[in-house]
Amino acid sequence: MQNHNLIVSMSPHLRGSLSIERMMLTMIIGLIPPAVMAIYWFGMRSLLIMILAVATAVLVEVGIQWITNQQQTYRDYHAVLTGLVFALILPPSVPWWIPVVGASVAMILGKLVFGGLGNYPFNPPLVAWVVLKLSWPERMNLFFAPHTRDQVLTPLMALKEDPALFYSYDIVDLLVGNTAGPIGCVCALAVLIGAAVILYQGIIRWHIPLAFLAGIAIFAAVLRAINPDIYPPVLFHLLSGGVLLGAFFIAPEPVTSPVTPKGMVLFGFLAGILTMIIRMWGAYPDGTFYAILIMNAATPLFNYLKPKEYGRLKRA
Amino acid sequence: MTLFTRGITLKKQTKRPPQELMEIPLPQRVILPLRQYNGEPLQPTVAEGDAVRVGQVIATAPTNASLPLHATISGIVAAVTECPDYTGIPTPCIILEADGADTWIEHPPEETDLEQLEPSEILNRIHDAGLITKTLTPAPLSSDLVPRDQPASHLMDGTRITPKIDTLLITALDKEPALGVNRYLAGIHTDDLPRGLAVLKTITGAPYTRFVVDKNTSPYPQLTELVAADEEEATTITAVNGRRHPLGLTIPLIKAVLGREVPLPYGHPRDVGVAVYDLDTTMAIGRAVRTRLPQVESLITVGGGAVKQPGIITVRIGTPIREIIESLGGFATDPAKVILGGPMTGMAHYDLDTPVTKDTEGLFALTPDEVQRSGDYRQCINCGLCVKVCPVNLLPGILSLYCAQDKFDMAETNGLFACIECGCCDYVCPSRRPLVHLFRHAKYQVMEA
Repeated sequence: MQNHNLIVSMSPHLRGSLSIERMMLTMIIGLIPPAVMAIYWFGMRSLLIMILAVATAVLVEVGIQWITNQQQTYRDYHAVLTGLVFALILPPSVPWWIPVVGASVAMILGKLVFGGLGNYPFNPPLVAWVVLKLSWPERMNLFFAPHTRDQVLTPLMALKEDPALFYSYDIVDLLVGNTAGPIGCVCALAVLIGAAVILYQGIIRWHIPLAFLAGIAIFAAVLRAINPDIYPPVLFHLLSGGVLLGAFFIAPEPVTSPVTPKGMVLFGFLAGILTMIIRMWGAYPDGTFYAILIMNAATPLFNYLKPKEYGRLKRA
Repeated sequence: MTLFTRGITLKKQTKRPPQELMEIPLPQRVILPLRQYNGEPLQPTVAEGDAVRVGQVIATAPTNASLPLHATISGIVAAVTECPDYTGIPTPCIILEADGADTWIEHPPEETDLEQLEPSEILNRIHDAGLITKTLTPAPLSSDLVPRDQPASHLMDGTRITPKIDTLLITALDKEPALGVNRYLAGIHTDDLPRGLAVLKTITGAPYTRFVVDKNTSPYPQLTELVAADEEEATTITAVNGRRHPLGLTIPLIKAVLGREVPLPYGHPRDVGVAVYDLDTTMAIGRAVRTRLPQVESLITVGGGAVKQPGIITVRIGTPIREIIESLGGFATDPAKVILGGPMTGMAHYDLDTPVTKDTEGLFALTPDEVQRSGDYRQCINCGLCVKVCPVNLLPGILSLYCAQDKFDMAETNGLFACIECGCCDYVCPSRRPLVHLFRHAKYQVMEA
C-alpha cells in the first residue's frame, strides 16, 4: 500500500450543507411569490424594474471588483438578492433610470465601500431606497392602482391625509395585494408564502420577524384601544406598507442584524415600535424601512446581550 | 426524555451507525508512544532485542500523572525510536515485532468477590491496568476518580464549595454520533458491567445512578435488568437523541440529562456532583479489578466512505492504521483524509504508521467528496447560526474575529477557554470559517505567552 496524499487539518472534518450561495438562493426563491404577484398587479413594468435592478447590481459589483482588482463575488448571488429586494420596495411608477441608479447606489454605497458581504453596517437596498427617497421624492411617491396607471394614494398615505380613511380599505384586498404600494409589498399573502420557505429552510430564524410584528401589533392594539375611530385595527398595520417584506426579508438580513437570541428579539421589537412611531407621528407614511435602517446602526450594541455565561455557579 | 436544543443533528453521517463486531487478526507490529497526554515521558524498562509477553510492563511512569506502559503483543522489542504519535509529532516510541504466539504474562487468580476490597486497592488495580478517561483530554482514570489535588471550586463571590458526588452517569453514547462502540456495548450482556458499576458506586459514593441511552438504537437489555434489580429505585434510564452532537461530550451531556452546568473553563463534573463514565470504561473497570490484567486492546469504530466495511473492531493498542486497513481488505477508494477519533473531534493524520492509542475511539477514512476544504473560507456574515448551536453559550463568530486579529486578551475575556471544541460552529458556518482552528490557535498562543 503506497502512502496516500492525505489532507491534514483541524477537526471538525465534516461540514454542513449550508453555504452563502444556498442562503442567498433560498432567499431569492422566497422572493419569487412576491415578484410574481408584482407582475400580476402592476404588469410587465414590474418585471422591467426587477430586471434592471438585478442586472445593474450584478454588473456594478463585477465592474467595481474588476477595477479594484478584487476577487469576484457575483457567484454568491448576493448582488442578485440585493437588486431583487431593492426592486420590490420601489413604486410601480418609477422611470427606467431609478432602478439603475438605485441598484448602483446599493452596491457601491451600501455594500462595496465597506468591504463587501459581511462588513456593511446598513442594509444595502434600504440605503439605496433612502438615497432615492431624498433625491427624487416626487418620483418615489407616485403609486398606481392595481392593473391601471391611475395615480392613487397608498393606504398609509391616505391615513396621513385623513385618519378615518382606513375604513375604506378591505383586509382581504391588503392580503391579496389589490391596493397601491411598492410592487413587492402589496401582496401580503405572497410575502408570507416566501417567508414560510426561508423559515422552514432555516435561513432566517423566528426571533426578528416575530418580535418585529409583535412590536407593531402591540403598539397598534394599544392605540386602537385608546380611540378606535382614528386608529386603524392591528391587521391593517401588519398587512399594509412594507411591514411583512421588512419583517421577513429585510430586518433579518444576516449582516446587519444581531446574532444573539435576546439581541434579535429586542432588535425586532424596537424596530416594530419605531415603525409605528414614524407611521403615527412622523413625516413619512410608512416607517418600516427607516425604522430598520435606524436599528441597523444599533446592531453592534444588541450583540452585547449575550446568552447567559455557561457554568456560572448559583449559591445553594 | 430531555430537550437539548443546542448542537447539531448529524443525519447523513449517522443513518446507519455501525453495530456489528468484526474480527481482525493480531497485528504484526505495534508502536507504543512513550509520551502520554499531560504526563512526563515514560522510562523504558526494556531494550532492543528483549523478548516481551502480553501485559508485561515495558515502561514505567516517573509520576502518578502518567500510567505504566504494557506490551500489547508478545514478541521482541524491535526498536526504541521516534514515530509520529496521536498528535502527529514524532515522539520516542517502543516498537514491538510479534512472534505470533500471543503469550500472556502469568494471570493472577481471578477475584469475583469485590466486596472485600479496600477502595485504595481498587484504585491501585485501575492504575496498574493503565485505564484512562474517555474525555477530549484523557487523564488516568484512577486520578480522575479520586483527584490527588482536589481542584478548588468557588462560587462567583469566592466561596469555596466542597462537591459531593450524588449522581453517577453511565452513558451508552459515544463522543460523537458517528462512533458506535458504546451503543454496541449497550446491546450485549457481560458480568463486568455490574461489577464495574459496583466499583464506581463504592469509590464515588454516589447514591443515584443514571444510564443514558440512545433512543434511536436497539434495546439495552442489561441496563433495563439493572434498573429492575435495584430495589431502592435509585437507578434510572434516560433516553436521548444520540444523533445529536455534541450530546456525547461530558459537559453538554450533564446539562441535557441533569440540567447542571459544569463551571467553565476549568471545571470538572465533580464540581456539580456528577461522575460521568461510559459503558466501555465501566466494563473495563470491572474487568481490570477482576482479572488484575492490564488493558491491551480496545474497541474502535471504523467508518468513512473510503473503508470497505464500516463496523466495530477489537484492536490491540499500538496497532498502526496501515495494519488495520490492510486486515480489513484495504481502502475501498483512495482516501483524502484519515482520522483517528471521530470525524467531528478526531485528529487527521498524514502517516499511515500512526498507532492507535488508548483514547482512540474511531478510525475514519474519508473520500475526497466527504472532505470539505476550508481553505477558501469567506468573511463572517454575522448570521448567528454558530450562536444557535454553541453548547456552552459562546458567540463563536465574534470570538473567531478576535482570534483571527490576534486580540487574544479580548478572546480570553469573551470565553475562549470555555470552548469545548465540539466543532458545531464549524459545521454550520455558511462562510466555512475554520472557527475551531482559530480557537485552538488562540488558546495555544495564550498558553505559550
